[in-house]
Amino acid sequence: MGKASLNRKFDALRAKEEAGLLKPASGSRALRKMMSNQLAVAGVVIFSIILLASIFAPLLTVHDPLKVDLRSMLQTPSAEHWFGTDRTGRDVFARVLYGGRVSILVGLGSALLAAAVGVGIGAYTGYKGGWVDVVALRASEIFMAFPQIILVLLLVSITGQSLMNLIIIFVLTGWGPMYRMARARVLSLREEEYVQALQSFGVPTLKICYKHILPNALGPIMVNITLTTAMFILAEAGLSFLGLGVPLSIPTWGNILNVAQDLRVLQNNWWLWAPVGAVISLFVLSVNFIGDGLRDSTDPTLQG
Amino acid sequence: MLTFILRRILITIPMLLIISFLVYLGLELTPGDAVSHMISPDLTNTVTEEQMAAMRESLGLDKSFIERYWSWLTHIVQGDFGHSLSGGVAISTIVLDRLPATLELSIFALVFSTIIGCVLGLLSALKRGSATDSALTVVGMLGVSIPEFFFGLVAILIFALNLGWLPVGGRLLPSYDSYWDHFPNIILPGLVLSLMMTAGVMRYARSAMLDSLSREFIRTARAKGLPQWRIILYHAFRVALTPVVVLIGFRLPTLIGGSVIIEAVFQWPGIGLEFIGAVRGSDYPLVMSIALLSVLAVLLASLIVDVLTAMIDPRVRLG
Repeated sequence: MGKASLNRKFDALRAKEEAGLLKPASGSRALRKMMSNQLAVAGVVIFSIILLASIFAPLLTVHDPLKVDLRSMLQTPSAEHWFGTDRTGRDVFARVLYGGRVSILVGLGSALLAAAVGVGIGAYTGYKGGWVDVVALRASEIFMAFPQIILVLLLVSITGQSLMNLIIIFVLTGWGPMYRMARARVLSLREEEYVQALQSFGVPTLKICYKHILPNALGPIMVNITLTTAMFILAEAGLSFLGLGVPLSIPTWGNILNVAQDLRVLQNNWWLWAPVGAVISLFVLSVNFIGDGLRDSTDPTLQG
Repeated sequence: MLTFILRRILITIPMLLIISFLVYLGLELTPGDAVSHMISPDLTNTVTEEQMAAMRESLGLDKSFIERYWSWLTHIVQGDFGHSLSGGVAISTIVLDRLPATLELSIFALVFSTIIGCVLGLLSALKRGSATDSALTVVGMLGVSIPEFFFGLVAILIFALNLGWLPVGGRLLPSYDSYWDHFPNIILPGLVLSLMMTAGVMRYARSAMLDSLSREFIRTARAKGLPQWRIILYHAFRVALTPVVVLIGFRLPTLIGGSVIIEAVFQWPGIGLEFIGAVRGSDYPLVMSIALLSVLAVLLASLIVDVLTAMIDPRVRLG
């Protein structure tokens, strides 16, 4: 933008202000900044639509995602079955909605749990220092030395497949980066004067690190949670597509796509894989937009 | 420099020991032991407990956990990873057999994604704030949001099934005469894997380029009256390349993991496909060995990156 156009903009703003048209901005600065980011707003809208559609699935479809109907196998999309039916006559639209419940639960749930574990450990051991810090750091290094998908598959092969196991495995493989980030933030905040003041008042250690230090690290933590959610949704879909994620009897986005491994399905029955693939992509995209918007609005080095 | 490298290796060794111990512990926790896998299911009724115990003794399975771990470790250091449960083939043979395919695919994707990522990152940095820049940002976001296997399936549908230009999957077929005959087979998996990885490089190259364009030496170059293309390519891009090279090193581990699902989609017979097969078939020794080798590769890659950064950037402390 040229200098002249900036000057013109500024003059216009001042004229409005003098005429009393501009109200002083209220509310959270980060929230306002986020709302002015069009991609982030689009992300929030798409995210909410898909999330609400999954939660209120019974209101949106009359079909049961598990009900086998052998008289209506492999039907193309119609007014009755919006996304058609699969090889056993189950309604694909209902399966995508109900599958979203499990997929979002696994993705968002594991990300929140991983954040709770990683940040909980990182904030405390980073503040305490000493041997607890060394032990936690080494433990995180061990988990992060594995390529993620290799560690996930390794643990799946030991524990066997179930929804609960998958969430635990995701938390085990995902807490490392959260821990690292929380620890780094706490290490730098620990030296601040307000923390020293709290210490001299005799405020308990736990209270200092969780009530007074942690809220200052909330921005990067939230950004990290969104990125981890996107990663886990993709991981669940990939694993279930291979038949190694959530057991096939439970509908999830990955399990619905599982049939597309068959090249005949891929070529002839597009409605079995295209809509659900688009829904996964849209959902992950919306989460990434939200994460990007959060990063821009909470990172002080990017403000201006 | 030499002491730095030695010190760096010495830090890695205890970590490898702990991980190998955990992996062996995992192997112990899995159901069944070597003997139960060696006896075929039809004979389980005729084999007595004493015979099983005798077999365990002859294999050293009656020794303590620590003793068995030690003997397992010393064998691994000598390159003997034991045998796969299905077929009884030596694991080292399987890995050596599958490694070339994975390396081929990974190197293809690494080279290709680096080139496209750098070019697009450069373009978007030069046209900062323009429609091209925003479009590339959104495309980059799409690249990290579409599941890689879904992208692979669509590519198969379009280019292999509908247009028939490229094969659906596989690598070396018996009908191929020369090594280069399988080149059409690598195009689809290689491009899909590269495009999924391009977004990261693009973002990184863009910010590195923006950073280097704002430096003083660019102003000096402009003041000297050098042509624009020369300033961009010889002055700014060269400086921006260093962090990108470091990024490539850091992405080697992601590449090892990232190719697992792509190999499965395209039936590319590499380590990843073997690993998935082993997980499906509960072939625990094979699963553990491949996992251990992947950790070794990751640690080795990070060692090389550290040494390279120390060599490129004099500001890195060798302490």
